[in-house]
Amino acid sequence: MSPVLLAEAVLFTLVVAALLAERPASLAATGLAGAATAAALGFLPGLRAALTRAFAAHRVPALIGGAVGALLLPFFLRGSPYWTFVATMALMYVTIGQGLNLQIGTAGVVNLAGAAFAGLGGYTVGLLTTAAGWPSWLALLVGPWAALALGALLFVPILKTRGHYLALVTIAFVFIFNTLMNNLEFTGGPQGIKNIPTLRILGHAFTTPPAIFGVRLPAHANFYFLALLMAGLATWIARRLHDSWLGLALNTLRDDEIAARCCGISVTRGKLVAFSVGNFLIGLGGSFYAVMVGFVSPPDFDFGYSLVMLSVIIIGGVDSVAGVVLGACLLVPLPERFRFLHEYRLLLYGVVIVLTLLYRPQGLWPVAVRRYR
Amino acid sequence: MTPTPGEPPVRLVTQGLTVRFGGLEALGGVDVTVAAGETVGVIGPNGSGKTTLFNAISGLYQPAAGEIRLEGRPLAGLEPHLIARLGVARTFQASRLCLGLSVFDNVLIGMHARRRTGLVDAVLRRHRLRGEVRACLAEAARLLALFSSGLVDRGFDRVAQLPQIDRRRVEICRALALQPRLLLLDEPSAGMNPEETAELMKDLQVVREAAPDLSLVIIEHDMFVIEGVSQRVVAFNYGRKIAEGTFREVSAHPGVREAYLGKEGGRG
Repeated sequence: MSPVLLAEAVLFTLVVAALLAERPASLAATGLAGAATAAALGFLPGLRAALTRAFAAHRVPALIGGAVGALLLPFFLRGSPYWTFVATMALMYVTIGQGLNLQIGTAGVVNLAGAAFAGLGGYTVGLLTTAAGWPSWLALLVGPWAALALGALLFVPILKTRGHYLALVTIAFVFIFNTLMNNLEFTGGPQGIKNIPTLRILGHAFTTPPAIFGVRLPAHANFYFLALLMAGLATWIARRLHDSWLGLALNTLRDDEIAARCCGISVTRGKLVAFSVGNFLIGLGGSFYAVMVGFVSPPDFDFGYSLVMLSVIIIGGVDSVAGVVLGACLLVPLPERFRFLHEYRLLLYGVVIVLTLLYRPQGLWPVAVRRYR
Repeated sequence: MTPTPGEPPVRLVTQGLTVRFGGLEALGGVDVTVAAGETVGVIGPNGSGKTTLFNAISGLYQPAAGEIRLEGRPLAGLEPHLIARLGVARTFQASRLCLGLSVFDNVLIGMHARRRTGLVDAVLRRHRLRGEVRACLAEAARLLALFSSGLVDRGFDRVAQLPQIDRRRVEICRALALQPRLLLLDEPSAGMNPEETAELMKDLQVVREAAPDLSLVIIEHDMFVIEGVSQRVVAFNYGRKIAEGTFREVSAHPGVREAYLGKEGGRG
């Protein structure tokens, strides 16, 4: 068990150091340490196998250790509201990524409209709170259902097209969504929806900085803990769905629709279930974004974000639930570290994706064989 | 068609089965009957309509005319997954396994239609799903062990790591996992060397013994296989049934000889 906790402690230290390093010297040191760890894992299969065994043998302590680390992170980042916010965004992308991975990775339903479905959640929250006067928590719970329901608009193309053609249809959907949001009166046009009231749970407003055990944390820590809960739940559900009859049926119809049908699997039902559950999780992420940031506008949900969501899956490992977590936690904070590159830092996504597809197409954390444990 | 005592009941009947692709008639008025527990071989040159027959029975092609009945129940017009659930399983000429999934997963797919746990069980009542999957894994192991105990040991290996003969076995196990009433095997010996084909013949014998009531229809180009396993042979040419009977009768049939070898004395 101790190797598990040791490995997690090393990882946690690396993460904190990578987020907090400011001066070039400390930044370089963390970069080197991170690269050394990655190289050790990459070039020492013995070490990797030993760690895999240790983690498999002590799953519960490993999970508890991971949860404790995730809960402690805001305390280490308390001096930096900015990095707390970035960490929260990463967790939001974990939630979205789990939904998208169920669609693209598990079922092969290539949905490049992730941004639009997140936007449907976000705009629903915006409209329900500002125009209808709903409390934010209720809107946050309803937003994902709106994304799921409006996903029905794409049911016909989902069933009639596949592969590249489906990708094109969903890309078109993002642009339609953006055009509508830019031009409709009631969604605020290009201005979007401002002044979405913040969350208030049991009288605690999420804009007031929390004090936990006497430690004062930045206000964003409120959202961090909520996002942690959300991402944890999404990952838990995604994992259980993946290792179930549904996951197996979806993998089969992704690999070979004809074989799936001749094995008694309803391709229609499978695709629609995967698409809808996925949209729910993507919409949940978008709804969360709206309450956290307090306003939504068309550029928050443009096609570029669909690509970010897609890269989270590709880098983590297509169909891999654990890979989504890794992909989001790497890909969201990383460009923020390269802020000095300004807009060019987005090139990073392109470079990372191309390198992954060329040299490690199965992703950093490839999907494992189901063992139904 | 009332079953007479002593004679096995009819399992599959096609009557006037016709499949058209545009102007091309791939199957023209085909009548085939398969009894319960019978093994029927289907032969014919390339493009004679054998696989089209399978595709029509399993619902991948919609017949333009004619009837297909499984134990009296009409199949024409049903979706393939419903036909599969009614008890028609099949394999494909080119293997259609999920190469990235484990051997067990590939067999488990065949049991998907019989599952009793749903999404709620998968997420919230995990013990139910786990109990069911354990029973299915045991059943999958039993099926795989019919052919080779080595396959059971490799149950959690990806199918892509298996040799051709074992892949074919996994595909047959996947079909058997459906607990079919009728099993359609589309050229199981395709791409196999003579030793593997001999192994395959033994495997088919195993299937026969394990499920005596199962009706088997097998498309083969290898006449050695056809002669070895089938009780009755149906020959096709140009989408029509040209002969039917025992292997000896069919292989002696002038129409069949012509279809395979050309007209005798055709070149004068």
